[in-house]
Amino acid sequence: MRKTAKLWLGAAALLFTPPVFADGETAVAYDGQDYCITVIGSLPGGDDETRYQFYKLVSDLGADAPEDFRAALSRYGENPPAPDTPLLDVIDIIANPVIRQAAPEITVANMGHLIEFNARCQDAVQGQILSLTTYDSTLFLSDEVIAEDALYLRQILSESLDRLGASDDPVHGAAARAYSRSLVTTRDAVEYAAFESEIDELEAIFMTDLDGRLARSNDIINEEADRSVLDDAVTLAEDMNEDAEEKQKQRDIETLFRILGGR
Amino acid sequence: MSRRLITALLLGSALMSGACATTAKGAKTSSLGNDYAAQTYRSEAPLGTTLAVVRYPAFVDPDARDLYHEAFKNTPIDGALSRKSGMESEALADSVILKSNYFALSLFKELAAKLPEHSVLLSPHTIKKGADGKLYSEPMTQAESLPSVVTVDFAAYTFPDANKMMGKEPLTFGDLITPLVTVKTDPRAAAPTQGVLLASTPLIKHAAGNGKDSSEAVRDALQTGRLTARQSDLDFIAHLNRDTAVTVAQKPLADRSNSDAVRFYPVEKIKLNASALKMLTSKSAQANAAAIDPVSDVFSKPMANQIVGIINRTDADKAAMVGRAAAIAQFDESLAALTLVGSDDPSYLARVRYAERLLEAEKNYLSVQSLRLFDGVHNGEMGAQVRDMLKAEYELLEKRRELARKQNTATALAVLGAIGTGVAIANSGGGGGSDCRNARSQQEYNNCLRRERQRQQRNNQINRIAIDGLIAGTVYAAQTAYGASQLSKSVGTNYLTSVVPALEEQVSVQVNLIDSNETITAIRFEDLKAKLNELYSKNQRALDVAATSCAYAHTGTGKTGSWLGECSGGLAQGSGVGVLENADGTAVEYYGYAANGQPSGPGYMITHTPAGSTAMEGNFTAGRADGVMTVYKGGQAPRTRRYAAGNDAGAASGLAVSTPFNKVAGAMN
Repeated sequence: MRKTAKLWLGAAALLFTPPVFADGETAVAYDGQDYCITVIGSLPGGDDETRYQFYKLVSDLGADAPEDFRAALSRYGENPPAPDTPLLDVIDIIANPVIRQAAPEITVANMGHLIEFNARCQDAVQGQILSLTTYDSTLFLSDEVIAEDALYLRQILSESLDRLGASDDPVHGAAARAYSRSLVTTRDAVEYAAFESEIDELEAIFMTDLDGRLARSNDIINEEADRSVLDDAVTLAEDMNEDAEEKQKQRDIETLFRILGGR
Repeated sequence: MSRRLITALLLGSALMSGACATTAKGAKTSSLGNDYAAQTYRSEAPLGTTLAVVRYPAFVDPDARDLYHEAFKNTPIDGALSRKSGMESEALADSVILKSNYFALSLFKELAAKLPEHSVLLSPHTIKKGADGKLYSEPMTQAESLPSVVTVDFAAYTFPDANKMMGKEPLTFGDLITPLVTVKTDPRAAAPTQGVLLASTPLIKHAAGNGKDSSEAVRDALQTGRLTARQSDLDFIAHLNRDTAVTVAQKPLADRSNSDAVRFYPVEKIKLNASALKMLTSKSAQANAAAIDPVSDVFSKPMANQIVGIINRTDADKAAMVGRAAAIAQFDESLAALTLVGSDDPSYLARVRYAERLLEAEKNYLSVQSLRLFDGVHNGEMGAQVRDMLKAEYELLEKRRELARKQNTATALAVLGAIGTGVAIANSGGGGGSDCRNARSQQEYNNCLRRERQRQQRNNQINRIAIDGLIAGTVYAAQTAYGASQLSKSVGTNYLTSVVPALEEQVSVQVNLIDSNETITAIRFEDLKAKLNELYSKNQRALDVAATSCAYAHTGTGKTGSWLGECSGGLAQGSGVGVLENADGTAVEYYGYAANGQPSGPGYMITHTPAGSTAMEGNFTAGRADGVMTVYKGGQAPRTRRYAAGNDAGAASGLAVSTPFNKVAGAMN
């Protein structure tokens, strides 16, 4: 497994415990803010980084899933998890290669569960992300890895739908194909972000290195410059000018003398 | 000798010996105006594009020195050489290089302050002698290898005759500067003016000639399937060479109209900021001298302001498109020609993003070099020496001004003396005596005549003494005036002959700095480029459509041109650039969409004829303008016209124009 594993383990640590509902209730309906508050409130504390990774992963997973696509997920998903199913169990089922191969409809249903959670609780999820990053701006640093994980899961969903024939469905085919295309765009964006991060690093190294080298070189050359050449030139010019002035004065006196003497 | 002749001779000698001297006055404010706070950058250039590159003559190759000195002397601006113009013109020619080196940095600093970080680069040039025996200039750094919205050529000019230093002729010396400037964009962004947007009046025709040459070079390369952005000589060198002169429409600096004409900037001798100069000469300010910029308020800030305004008004996409495509061609030829007009294809969009980021990294890297060049020269020993030289020159100029004032006073005295002598001579004829004809007897008459003769003799004696005194005073004053004039000249000559080794030393320090900076930068730049290319190649996915070379046909000519871009069946099909050159010297450049080898869809067509260049943007059908078009012609504001099958069908103002550049045309103007 790639670096994805690290994040999933982090998410697992957070989500391993099933949500505990008030008064031992287990049934939660998908209805409005109560549902969101209940699910989010049921999650154990964990550290900020793990919580951030979870919310960001859910947010990225829910991208490019308009209503018609979610309808397709309902159509092709089977045995959807109950609303109070721990989210870790949901992710585990999605990532399970055996289920993925043998029962893509279960993978679709479980992804649909996560996507639905994000769609219904988008404000709450974004609010959590915002509040966490307000306190710790370094949390952004794991965005690239989270984006790759989310893309990986979304590709599993798209492949599962394809295997179930959703792309050729006259009703849901367009939504399935649009989702598939959006994955290309997202992959481009994820890859570009990785490229940009590498290029940023390279640029910073080269610019800092160049700046230092040029500063040192400038210092050496400037130290070697001979400032006395100009001083000498100016002194020489001043001497010559003084001499010229003297001669001129002399000429003036001689002229005056000649004029006066000539009377 | 008659009395009148004596008067005339005295007056003439007084005037000749010490004619009124001028005191090398400069304008306190530049015609550029003082509204330098008014313009702020509000445009947007494609990623990886610099906004301005400041080019200037930094060094003369030893093999080109004699030719440069000769050319400099033979192409005086705003004046005629005196018969006695001597060897000092070589020192003046060398000082042009040194001062250009120094003052260009002030303009760079002000532009960098007004434009986004890493968007202004310095491009010092070496002046060399070509195989054809003419001068040419070559960039010493790689600043011009990247696309740019404008290039700014700068030179600090001095008239090549030391005898005219105190006159009205252009001078960069002491507290005076005469800037020569041209601001140009790529000729595609301003076809009717060959890319020239603002220029010092004497340079306009050569700058336009340079633009035309560069445009032709790009077309020639396109014909052979290559994309290159030709780096042109400095316009000052084109002037020294008396290179190709092209006439283009001009308008005054203050003209706010959007007509396609070059804003002309008159040659002006500007006085540097007096308080800054005083601070520079005071011992207490020495530690902080690098922060004092006497040229900033009087020239650099207003000029930077003008340039930012020009950048805001220039279509950055058109200005950068050829330079950007040429830079991209160095690492991705199949993408390069597609970037000229862009595409909505996802594979193109994904790829061009990487290419632009790569150019951006190169630009940022090169900007470090410019900033360090500025630091090394301006804040280093070299800058300190130039400031010392400015002080010395200022003191010398002040001395010469004092001598000029002395000369003028003496001349005035000499003239007054000559006039006074004339009056005395005129009045020396006697008169005022008694009339002896009223005598009542012969004896009385004889006595009267005797007395009258004695009185006249006494008067004559007194007059002679007075006239002699006046003549002596006049001669002395004239002699003093002449002496002051000669002394002033020798003071100038002494300085110019003494300072030659210092000029050479300072230019040599400057060149060492630039060379060393460039060597270090280039080694690391190659390394950076290799790493960037590796990163780029590793991350690319295939383009759905790649650019190749094929045939381009232009309506009305039997000849086939070249197309670089999308092709199908050997003919232009899709986006790209087409060029066609006819035997009669006319040529066509077309940027946009084509079908079956001909312009079809949104496009931008530039037509070059011996009379000038014009452009047209809008929709084309089967090679002909068809629909609402924007027409660009020299001396006119862009006009919106309706065309049908290539024929002008009347005005169409207010209607939207199709453009290949993914935006509504006309918005930039």
